[in-house]
Amino acid sequence: MDQEFGVEEDYRDGTSVVTVAGEVDVATAPALRDRLDQAVRREEGPVVVDLLGVTFIDSTGLGVLIGAHRGCAAHGRELRLVIAEPRILKVFEITGLTDLFPIDTTLEGAMAGSEVVE
Amino acid sequence: MTARTAEPDDIEGTAGNAGPGGIVELTIPVESDLLVLARLATSTVASRSSFDIEEIEDLRLAVDELCLLVVDGRRTGRILLRIEGTEGQIEVDCRYEGTAVVPDGEGSDDHVDGLSGRILDALVDEHGPVARDGLRGARLCKRRATSDD
Repeated sequence: MDQEFGVEEDYRDGTSVVTVAGEVDVATAPALRDRLDQAVRREEGPVVVDLLGVTFIDSTGLGVLIGAHRGCAAHGRELRLVIAEPRILKVFEITGLTDLFPIDTTLEGAMAGSEVVE
Repeated sequence: MTARTAEPDDIEGTAGNAGPGGIVELTIPVESDLLVLARLATSTVASRSSFDIEEIEDLRLAVDELCLLVVDGRRTGRILLRIEGTEGQIEVDCRYEGTAVVPDGEGSDDHVDGLSGRILDALVDEHGPVARDGLRGARLCKRRATSDD
């Protein structure tokens, strides 16, 4: 248990920013899903999920993000991720999800719509 | 798995020293959401089996996924986990004990078919289903990378 799980939502400069910290697994994924559902239904513009503070993510957490991606698409919004930690990025790479999500290594880059991980 | 705080009596664990890594056996209630204990035990055994930090992180995720595969969205029952480490190798056996049936459709709300299998394919040397003593389960094996790999 490296860091306590937490998820916060903010809306700035036309972008919904959901900041996640700690371990995202079967125990914490429902809280992330609930917060992302709210963020997707509320406001307009892109949704940026900041995973810089995430220390662990499993397939349950990935499933939540895939669901949010679908929800964003249904609302005409784009879901972008911020990941800098190599071991978190590795989980997206081995599951092929780097092809699904635009991923940047900084929040500023993701909010600007850039994509540095392909 | 649904959120519930496990009582101390719900969780059982034993540890032994069969080799450099040792053996840890854990029994975890499915509904307690305590896979963090499985990851912690995996880290300990892997560390004592001479795996490096990156390999230990891979194993933590692999064992988590193994448990998710075996539980398959069930809401009750117990996970029986056996982690055995020897020098440069770790074997994990995970069984489900209980009477709950796998939910229709996708299992848990956040389950996406195939992700666990893809993760295990990438992170461990061997994995697959096992059935013994009437219990459904799965196992994995990971060997430490050598300079020849």
